Amino acid sequence: MAEAIGIQNVTKRFGEHVAVNDVSLEIAEGEFFSLLGPSGCGKTTTLRMLAGFEVPTEGHILLEGQPVENVPPYKRDVNMVFQSYALFDHLDVSENVAFGLKRRKVDKAEVGRRVAEALELVNLSERAGARTNELSGGQRQRVALARALVNRPKVLLLDEPLGALDLKLRRQMQVELKQIQREVGITFVYVTHDQEEALSMSDRIAVMHEGRVMQCGAPEDVYERPSEEFVAGFIGISNLITGTVEDGGKVRIANGLRIDAPLPDGVTRGDTVNLSVRPEKIAVDDDVEAGMVSLDGTVEARVYLGVSTQITVSLGNGDRVVALEQATYRSSADDRWEPGSSVKLGWHPEHCLVLR
Amino acid sequence: MESHPFDKPRFLRLFAIAVYLFLFAPIFVVILFSFNSIKSLNTFDGFSLQWYEEFFNDPALRDSLLMSLEIAFLTMLAATVIGTALAIGLVRSRARWAPGANILMLVPLVVPEIVAGISALLIFSQVGIALSFWTIVVAHITFSISYVTIVVRARMASISQEVEDAAMDLGATRWQAVRLVLVPALWPAVLAAGLLVFAFSFDDFVLSFFTTGEDMQPLPVRIWSAIRFGLSPTINAIGTLMMVVSLTAIALAVLLPRLFGRRESGFKVLTAQEG
Repeated sequence: MAEAIGIQNVTKRFGEHVAVNDVSLEIAEGEFFSLLGPSGCGKTTTLRMLAGFEVPTEGHILLEGQPVENVPPYKRDVNMVFQSYALFDHLDVSENVAFGLKRRKVDKAEVGRRVAEALELVNLSERAGARTNELSGGQRQRVALARALVNRPKVLLLDEPLGALDLKLRRQMQVELKQIQREVGITFVYVTHDQEEALSMSDRIAVMHEGRVMQCGAPEDVYERPSEEFVAGFIGISNLITGTVEDGGKVRIANGLRIDAPLPDGVTRGDTVNLSVRPEKIAVDDDVEAGMVSLDGTVEARVYLGVSTQITVSLGNGDRVVALEQATYRSSADDRWEPGSSVKLGWHPEHCLVLR
Repeated sequence: MESHPFDKPRFLRLFAIAVYLFLFAPIFVVILFSFNSIKSLNTFDGFSLQWYEEFFNDPALRDSLLMSLEIAFLTMLAATVIGTALAIGLVRSRARWAPGANILMLVPLVVPEIVAGISALLIFSQVGIALSFWTIVVAHITFSISYVTIVVRARMASISQEVEDAAMDLGATRWQAVRLVLVPALWPAVLAAGLLVFAFSFDDFVLSFFTTGEDMQPLPVRIWSAIRFGLSPTINAIGTLMMVVSLTAIALAVLLPRLFGRRESGFKVLTAQEG
């Protein structure tokens, strides 16, 4: 697929502060691409550079192969959905949506047709004449989306567009956004700090931290095979156990146990590493199978979560592991793990990642 | 039922009535005596319009009224344009001096008017500008800018930078973004501030007194000169007319934003209330 966006060694400084630090990314045409990270990680600054509101201090930004870092926002073929929606309150819904087309001198009949089309796409046709301050949060969000999509941009930029909505509406809009993206086939660049949102919607995710891209890949890659401690910790809950590398692909942890783990290249005897295991990959008691790494511990806490039960197990010597046990047809009442009771844990060696 | 002395604080109600009487009785007297049929400032004899007639038949007074209206109008135009531009700049500026410049805007409001008047007079005479209609206008504009800036600034602060960004994202140049999005959003505040400044300029005496030339005098200065040679009931008629002009300006400032269907009164804009 053709490349829609190229970000080449882009750095952005505000005075002394480095907001974006030597970021390089390639985003393919039609891709749903997310920039994920905590606040202040540089994801919004990166998006604003794509829109043209900020000029990179160093590096290049390419739209369809053309460098655009010095092209003002009103001449770029990209549109943005803002976090605050930024609707024009003195105009009604359809006038808001028509704003971009009118600036580009599209003829009147065509404007009317495309505005109606865009409002239908976001399911808001019956509110075309409403004032923006009469709309609910979800409806305002849809107007912002229609106002951007109606221009048929090469790329749509979305800055935490669902952040202000309540959880239920957010879930619903996630599904709808993804549907709309498939329907219009436009490249979406989506900024969010919500890992679940990024995982559920994206084709690829770039995880950012302190101005840098820590990892970029498909949701499964980023979740299952985090390359950095930060990524493992930021996406989902992750157990990190510190240990020392010994001979024969084993890692010795604080309580003296030697664990089988797939060591990455370049890790040698004596190195200190972190073992990362996702809570849902940990088997407890009867579920521990042959071929698993197995260890003993003491239950410290149990949290009942409905579809699952989360137990915190102490391995001794300060190490703690969180395990997530799915409620299934086999399990009776999930009150098996009383705090203080001994428990056996296990996981398949391939589910354990070694992070430097 | 037994009543506690604080249940119905009758004395508070009386106090409130007294305050209102104190505030409005002089104004009421001026209006009443402007319709007096005899030339007395202490006995009301009957209704007549003779003092209004006298006022409108005095070409000098009539010219002064027109002059005051012209000054107020020009002041309103210039101060709203400059003050609004300043408000936009002060709110959006990321410069280090912006907070200081914001506080400086309050200074013209607290400087005693007589000081402002004398300084204006000194500057005009030092630079060698003869006092005239235009020196009054310039003096009025300087103090009016602060009022406009403060009123518009409150509104401006409630408009997200993202709204301007959105306009530019949708193909508007920076200037179009200001014209098509920012100005319509600021409009109720600009209008209210302009009419407020009109009212202030129209009845200003102190600044006008120091900056008026010899050829013609605006109405408040004219009245002041007139009463030095004795009080005439015409003063009451002039006072009443001036009050009507000022109140009309204030009433428009409150009502016009409503008429534009913005569902917010100018009163809210002026007192910087949210919502």
